[in-house]
Amino acid sequence: MNNINKMIKQRHFLTVSLVAVFSIFLSGCKKEAVQTLPERSWTLVWSDEFNGAAGTSPDGSKWGFDIGNSGWGNSELQYYTNRTSNASMNGTGAMVITARAENFGGSGFTSARIKTQGKFSQKYGRFEARIKTPYGPGIWPAFWMLGDNITTDGWPLCGEIDIMEQRGQQPHITLGSVHGPGYSGGSAITKSYALANGRFDTDYHVYAIEWGPDFIDYYVDNYLYQRITPETVTGKWVYDRPFFLILNVAVGGNFVGFPTTGTPFPQSMLVDYVKVYTQN
Amino acid sequence: MRQKNFMLHTLYFCTGLLLLAGAGCKKRDVADLQPATFPNRAEVFIDDFTGDLAYAAFGGSDVRAFQVDKTVAYGGTAASMRFEVPDANSPNGSYAGGVFLSKTGRNLSGYNAISFYIKASQPATIGVVGFGNDFGENKYLVSQNGLPVNSNWKKVIIPIPDPSKLTAERGLFYYSTGPEAGRGYTFWIDEVRFEKLGDIGHGSAAILNGVDKQQISFTGVSTTIDGFSATYNLPTGINTTLNVSPAYFKFSSSVPSVASVTDKGVVTTIGGGTTKVTATLDTIHARGSLTINSSGAYVGAPTPTRDAANVTSVFSDAYPNINVDYYNGYWAPFQTTQSADFTVGSDHVLNYTNFNFVGIQVTSPTVNIGSRANLHMDLYLPDNITPGATFKVRVLDFGANGAPGGGDDVSDIVSFTAPFLTARNWLSIDIPFSSLPGLSTKAHFGQLIFEGTNISNFFADNIYFWSNPVVPTVAAPVPTQPAANVLSVFSNSYTNISGTDFFPNWGQSTVVTQVPIAGNNTLRYTNFNYQGLQMAAGQNLSTYQFLHLDYYSANAGALNVYLICPPGSPGGTAPWEKAFTLNVPTAGWNSVDIPLSHFTPQVALSNVFQFKFDGGTGSDIYLDNIYFWKIPPVPPVPAPTPTYPAASVISIFSDAYTNVAGSDLNPNWGQATVVTQTPIGGNNTLVYTGLNYQGLQFGSNQNVSGKTFLHLDYYTANSTSLKVYIISPGPVETPYTLTVPTTSGWNSLDIPLTAFAPVALNNVFQMKFDGNGTIYLDNILFR
Repeated sequence: MNNINKMIKQRHFLTVSLVAVFSIFLSGCKKEAVQTLPERSWTLVWSDEFNGAAGTSPDGSKWGFDIGNSGWGNSELQYYTNRTSNASMNGTGAMVITARAENFGGSGFTSARIKTQGKFSQKYGRFEARIKTPYGPGIWPAFWMLGDNITTDGWPLCGEIDIMEQRGQQPHITLGSVHGPGYSGGSAITKSYALANGRFDTDYHVYAIEWGPDFIDYYVDNYLYQRITPETVTGKWVYDRPFFLILNVAVGGNFVGFPTTGTPFPQSMLVDYVKVYTQN
Repeated sequence: MRQKNFMLHTLYFCTGLLLLAGAGCKKRDVADLQPATFPNRAEVFIDDFTGDLAYAAFGGSDVRAFQVDKTVAYGGTAASMRFEVPDANSPNGSYAGGVFLSKTGRNLSGYNAISFYIKASQPATIGVVGFGNDFGENKYLVSQNGLPVNSNWKKVIIPIPDPSKLTAERGLFYYSTGPEAGRGYTFWIDEVRFEKLGDIGHGSAAILNGVDKQQISFTGVSTTIDGFSATYNLPTGINTTLNVSPAYFKFSSSVPSVASVTDKGVVTTIGGGTTKVTATLDTIHARGSLTINSSGAYVGAPTPTRDAANVTSVFSDAYPNINVDYYNGYWAPFQTTQSADFTVGSDHVLNYTNFNFVGIQVTSPTVNIGSRANLHMDLYLPDNITPGATFKVRVLDFGANGAPGGGDDVSDIVSFTAPFLTARNWLSIDIPFSSLPGLSTKAHFGQLIFEGTNISNFFADNIYFWSNPVVPTVAAPVPTQPAANVLSVFSNSYTNISGTDFFPNWGQSTVVTQVPIAGNNTLRYTNFNYQGLQMAAGQNLSTYQFLHLDYYSANAGALNVYLICPPGSPGGTAPWEKAFTLNVPTAGWNSVDIPLSHFTPQVALSNVFQFKFDGGTGSDIYLDNIYFWKIPPVPPVPAPTPTYPAASVISIFSDAYTNVAGSDLNPNWGQATVVTQTPIGGNNTLVYTGLNYQGLQFGSNQNVSGKTFLHLDYYTANSTSLKVYIISPGPVETPYTLTVPTTSGWNSLDIPLTAFAPVALNNVFQMKFDGNGTIYLDNILFR
């Protein structure tokens, strides 16, 4: 299975490289079709366009907050708050999660983590967000999902689907992963996708998964770079119940390492929209 | 065409992908690529000098610091560049630094960074590395300061702020650094090349260090923008900030009719109004701006009018200035003051910004200001005056050693606050040295220090020390005392006593002459040290009260006048003379009336036969109207008749009004005073003779709470103490001190009734005077 994954990855590297070169040197040219993708059609069932007034909090009917500085199982350094200085609309159609270097509640940093837990969850479908990511060593933005049963079965049995994770010290790489029983944390099933001549944080990109009974396909800007199937995972396939959505920017932690004196603060993740579809 | 092909190949090589990308696209055309007139070779030093590369060391550096090293190289390549930083004070040079030049220039516009690997024999900080230094104009200079290195190879990326500028760049790479803690070390650089990197992002830029500055300006004033930088986020997510030259920026002025700005960031104000000067770097809007608030035509400080002969100038276009070390010492570490001096036409103006304190120093050489008497400066505060705003001027003399320190430095300081301080007017400050008593020596003036609180910005002009003309330009004022009350020694206005010797030989250096000043005969002392004045005979001044003297000296540091009686005179005592200090230097003629009582008991006033002046050090003194005078014991004229409307007055004693009926002007309170009434010029006047105290009982209690003043006219030739009280039952009484004797005739006084608190003004029933002498009173009334 590893070989297949490598194949996908390599092919995609090439594709992205081509596109990058096109866009830089030959912007007048038409793009070639470079992937033959599964044909699926979708119906939008849930979305947030984040069109609220500047400075307002995320829509409380759709999003709740995780608050505190527990480290969230990853030795993260930030204190998550529900203040508008950490999460609010920018007034021009995006929701901004801002990580700040400030002393708060015993932590040296603040940020925000919002989730649809208890408000919206769905089994299968297309889950996508258009995001401009933050950057800098120790900055860890993520767009991800957890199984609804986390409150009863706990993690990792509930399953975790990471649609987008980045390390701020490698702004040209994005990662997609699943964590489940027997393959969580450092042994998660994961794939990274790199831009050969560019970086993700300088513009918006669409990060998505398409999830069905026996597959999770990972996309960046509609390019498939990873497929995870029941055969791929090294433990039980737990992706057969509703999952809820999470958006956050962590500072520090096991995954990304510590921020350095060279890390620019504040750092903002801009989310243009989040959309969830069901397959027709 | 060959050149284009070459360039194309290089691009293919660099990207390694263009061939793949190009397949299937027909529209790509060589014409899309920018025509190049210079080679676009990316490599600077890979394993040796590439292409047209040359090296030149900076002046004063160790010219042998750079060598190609074939044993140490990055990644096992053939060679690297080795830089041997010398020890401090090495005879070969005190630092390592030089430029790697392209002899012909290269077109670097297709790249966006220079990168290289670096390591050192020890942890160190490289002073500066960069590119754009071409040993010429350095037009497109980019520098990274303070690059930390250690003994591991690390990759350094220096982004190019706007590659499109670099179509013919000769300065490919440069470095400069000194020893670490005085000791040299070695560092190596390898694989130096220009690159086109896709993962440099988040470019930002700044002018004026990112600060939005406000500046008061005038037509004709020029200011040069500085503080240029560009910041990029490197592929590692870390920001790097570079110092860049102004040529990378495009400047604009929002209102060009107010100020223009050149390609080099020189802002010139050309009209009145407000404009904001901003800049862009490529497509980046730079942080920082300069807002010019122009009042239009510059209104300069008033042009000085003093004769240059009487001026020692520190900063002025009107006079030759002394040799000044600096007008801003930038005294570390506490001074924040910057200089933004400007010139309008030929008018040079000092402008201090971000002001806390600043010093002007004069040590080459120090200057003797002993012949001057004042410091002048013109001050302009362009910002609104904020509460607590204080401007201080300190004058410092380095003392006998003529150098800072040594325990002989002296100084003093004068403060200015609102309401004197006003915004946007030239304020002329003149500080007489008499206001700087701590400036006890003046032969080695060395520093002028301005200190401020809540004043961020000021202009200064016409800073000079000055003195009045040595020779007065006008005559002494003409005396007004009636001759009958005067015994004159030297005056054109009176008959002088005869036989006075104005130039007795007492061994003095002083030369005495009499000169006409504006037609008025005046006594002149030149080369003054001390000087006597011998009257023909001892004068009995017992009936006189004052010595009057008019004096003038632009350059005296001290001056005393003495009266002298012959030793042994009855009524006097040793040393038979007494000094009175006169304030010098003078800003013009000074008139003084010295009570003769000042000279007692040493001087027997019945037998004064000499004057003496001393305190001089070669100065020039002018004297006139030296006479004794007295106040007539009886007023020669009646008190002035009051003109207040009768309806507004409650009169106690006046011919001009109906007085409160039934008042007792001489109640028996056990006093010694003799009370009479006497007509003076037909006006009934109250006289207290031999006053110790004296009451006055109103005919009825008076409510004066609706009145504002107690008015009274009083006259006394001989009183030395006099107080007036009003009294309400209790008794509640409060004194008010009257100035005596009355040297200018009747003294008409309006005393605010508030001065008598806590007397019950609605129930006043008595008055009281206490003191001594003979007192004439009239027009005692409330109004």
